[in-house]
Amino acid sequence: MLSGFELDLPDTLVGVLDLIADGRGTPAVPLAGGTSLIVDMRARRTMPNAVVWLGKIPELRGIQVTQDHVRLGPCTTVSDILNSDELAGSGVSLVRAAEAFGGQMVRNAATVAGNIACNSPASDLVPPLMALDAEVILESRSGSRTVALDRYFTGYKEDVRRTDELITGISWKRQEESSVDLFHKLARRKGDAITVVGVAVNMAVSDGTCMRARIALGAVAPTVLRAKRAESMLEGETLTPGLIEAAARQATEEASPIDDVRASATYRRHGIQVLTARLLTQAWGRLT
Amino acid sequence: MRELRSIGKSAWRKDGIAKVTGAEQYASDVLLPRMWHARVVHSPYAHARIISIDTTAAEAMGAVCLTYDDVPKVRYNERIVSTPPHLYRDRQVLADKARHVGEAVAAVAAPTERAAELAARAIEIEYEVLETIVDPEAAMRPDAEPIHSSVLLGGTELPIDNNVAVNRTIEVGDIESGFARADHIFEREFHTSRIYHAQMETKSVVCRPEADGGITVWPTTQSIHNVRQLLGEIFSIPLHKVNVKRVAIGGTFGSSIQMNSVIPICTALALKARRPVRLVSTREEDIYDHTRYETRIRLKLGVTDDGKLVAGQMEALADIGAHNIQAFALLSVLAGWWVSLYELPAMRFHGTAVYTNKAPSCAMQGFGNPQATFATETLMDEIAEKLELDAIEFKLENYVGLGGTFWGQGPSVQSIVQSDGVPELLRVGSDKIGWQNRPDPGSQTGRYRRGIGMARGFHTSGAGAPKPGEVIDYSGALVKINEDGTVDVVHAMMDHGGGTLDAIAKIVAEELGVPVNCVGISPADTLTTVYDVVTHATRGVYAGGGAALKAARKAKAILLDYAARVLGIEVDALVIEPDEDLCQGVIHCPSVPERSITVGALAKLCQTNSWGSIAAVESLRQVNAPPAYVSYFIEVSVDTETGHIETRRVVVGADCGTVVNPAMAVGQLEGGLSKGTGYALVEDAQWDPETGQLASRGYWVDAKIPSISESPRLENIETYFADTYEPTGPYGAKGVGEAATNPCAAAYANALHNALGIRFRQLPITPELVLAKLRAQAGETLLGGQTAGPASAGSRGT
Repeated sequence: MLSGFELDLPDTLVGVLDLIADGRGTPAVPLAGGTSLIVDMRARRTMPNAVVWLGKIPELRGIQVTQDHVRLGPCTTVSDILNSDELAGSGVSLVRAAEAFGGQMVRNAATVAGNIACNSPASDLVPPLMALDAEVILESRSGSRTVALDRYFTGYKEDVRRTDELITGISWKRQEESSVDLFHKLARRKGDAITVVGVAVNMAVSDGTCMRARIALGAVAPTVLRAKRAESMLEGETLTPGLIEAAARQATEEASPIDDVRASATYRRHGIQVLTARLLTQAWGRLT
Repeated sequence: MRELRSIGKSAWRKDGIAKVTGAEQYASDVLLPRMWHARVVHSPYAHARIISIDTTAAEAMGAVCLTYDDVPKVRYNERIVSTPPHLYRDRQVLADKARHVGEAVAAVAAPTERAAELAARAIEIEYEVLETIVDPEAAMRPDAEPIHSSVLLGGTELPIDNNVAVNRTIEVGDIESGFARADHIFEREFHTSRIYHAQMETKSVVCRPEADGGITVWPTTQSIHNVRQLLGEIFSIPLHKVNVKRVAIGGTFGSSIQMNSVIPICTALALKARRPVRLVSTREEDIYDHTRYETRIRLKLGVTDDGKLVAGQMEALADIGAHNIQAFALLSVLAGWWVSLYELPAMRFHGTAVYTNKAPSCAMQGFGNPQATFATETLMDEIAEKLELDAIEFKLENYVGLGGTFWGQGPSVQSIVQSDGVPELLRVGSDKIGWQNRPDPGSQTGRYRRGIGMARGFHTSGAGAPKPGEVIDYSGALVKINEDGTVDVVHAMMDHGGGTLDAIAKIVAEELGVPVNCVGISPADTLTTVYDVVTHATRGVYAGGGAALKAARKAKAILLDYAARVLGIEVDALVIEPDEDLCQGVIHCPSVPERSITVGALAKLCQTNSWGSIAAVESLRQVNAPPAYVSYFIEVSVDTETGHIETRRVVVGADCGTVVNPAMAVGQLEGGLSKGTGYALVEDAQWDPETGQLASRGYWVDAKIPSISESPRLENIETYFADTYEPTGPYGAKGVGEAATNPCAAAYANALHNALGIRFRQLPITPELVLAKLRAQAGETLLGGQTAGPASAGSRGT
């Protein structure tokens, strides 16, 4: 059963920022799709006194693709991502993650900002976004700032967002033609299952040389993280099966998985190795 | 035999429209004037003495509270299918001591669900926490904390030593000389998992106290009559004042064979509050209420050089959780299923059922049969491989078939097999899957490896037998012909969703010679129906349908007597045939075509002439429990990099005698595959050894069952039925439901062996387990320097 709380339904962004900035008592919590927050509230893991629903502000939802950038409104749902023709051409790894995300009803409700804000290391959308070098736009009454997603998470269930800030956008640079972004996850079943290992890879190649390599890992550390030492082994290099294996092995070193109900740390480490090598091989194969 | 009109043709479910439109009424849909809502307070501890319960604050909020002090001090067993001498009674309406996480220790009723929840939280309980026992082996250690000091067996106090609820040894023939005759002896250990039924509807109930001191109850149950008898006994209410109503049930898989724990709690609250009370379990509460029996099975089989089984021994350890619901019966059936798979001239079974501080185990689709069949069929496949015999020929040489003695539900439930489609099932199935072209085990290399596996099995149709035994089994039905020629069937049986009541309607329609659309299934309650034991043991069509057929025959005889009088034709010369256009049965004599009358016209004449009603009530004890045979052929593909298993193709065949409703029977097979796949590959209920909590903590998010994505595409699931006729069944029918799932896990294990050359003797076969075995096979370890074992049940999330 949900605990008692006040529900606010502002119809402007300013209204939202005013409500979450209100210092009385515990902070008001923004509610987007509710697929994480409401579950936590029912289980009494979190019991906010006030909840601010974002659903009355249509401009918070939508996908904007300009010549250089892709920007997602915070309330863009996973289904929106899945059904977007634009993203199929400039962020296909995110579409792959959306396919593997929850069940149909959850995809219809869950939002991209919610998936970031709930701070789950097993997030499905964060690894591809992180591999795309996405940035998070945070707004409050005192202004706005932009934080690289890579620096957004500071620890298990911890991030840089202040309680008076709202995620108002997620954006990344459109990928050049000679690049590929990929995502794959392992779980106990094909859909509607929490990730055991999620790996996103983004690679750009020019003249037979890897110009950019991004490897983001989900569900294998307190936060989603980039395997930066593995990435740097690849950049500026011509990839070979041996180098790919070594980089994948390096990625496993950068993770710190745990044993839990879904899988053992050992299996997770193995999963990073297999998926990273597989995705790097695929990306390299497509670009050369 | 004349042509069948209703039986053998696919028909829509009579309740289909109500179910898809939401009009159907389940227990939680029963809303009554003045009704309050209940919530139960559950123990957060797996094993704890209750020191005190303070309800002051909850009562100050206006709630009616119920504690151990308020409930009748009657020890009961919630499943009264076993005969009284075999009933182990160890529980009361509310617990005096918490024996598992989620055990009900107090309850409240209040005007709204919210008020009830708040009141439930306001109850303060002081516990003395005791040692938590999660492992059944540890439970039997002499120094282990006793979970029950004694229980009632029949009416006698039975001390419980070393947490052993019951032992059972069954021997036939001389086991020593049996194994001495064997040229080869194989002995292996198997471990099956403790999974949740995952039925759609959570256990719910509404109870209304009546002005005359009686009660009316709308429960989630598989047996309205057993609920009635237990409530009458616990609350000392004469049975004519206990009315239990049948409402639709949202699936069970066996989870409501017993009277669910919420039913007497709700009844006690309603009696104390003197108003109707509704109690609906949440999913998390339901997951902590019941599970499948976890077993460790040591199986030994002796076989001659030419492939003849000569002796067998099974030792089984069953983890029954915190209460003994049917441990004695479980040990009986484990032995029964095992010895009914293959002829064993000498056999010995020893079973031990042990209490642990986990949710109580109860029957789940197959009741011990998936466990026994997994062990037996996996070992039979291995023996065939080692002796270089074709597994199908080896099984056909040894199986219990036509003329064999079939134990069905245990040593007291023996009958002779009179219909047997096994040879047809295996030959057709092996042709369809391409058995002869399957790869040699372990011969493949590369990332993806393909394998084909086969397993066979069965379930009984009911628990009937020639003599009274340890289990009650009979049904009753009232068939009455209405004044317009339509028919009411009044039958206490539950339909879990498999179409049992539709099958009964077809059987009655067939017998009376009326269109099936003219036959209605009446609402049922315990005041107006005769006894039916319970819908379980795949007995619905065979036993429940058998009783309806018996009543229909008697009603038909009355009908034809009147018809003979009206038409002036000898009764033996009359037939009734359905006329779909008239929507009537027509009574006539083929050689005197000018004389005929519709059933409706005759029934109306009976009424207007005041001749009386055309109706009959009958009770039927089936004296057989014929096997419904099933065979599975499964093709899998394994990704050896991740350990993931893809089900590529499944061929499932069933011998259920006459197929009453083909579309529904196919649905049973497909459902059995889905549940079997979950058992084999996906479902994994881990319990924290420290806290006795489920690692999933009762949430679906980590208690996964297969979704549609795990199923092969429909065009890759092929079902077929053997052409058989069961002489003791209604129109030749047997059961199908539980048989449909029993061999599934073994077929997967055998397919994986065919693909990888590795035997799996533990369920579920997860990607992690596959990978660990592959690495062990290659002499490697996974990254991190250790071989992956089952994941530990840590409480940290990721």
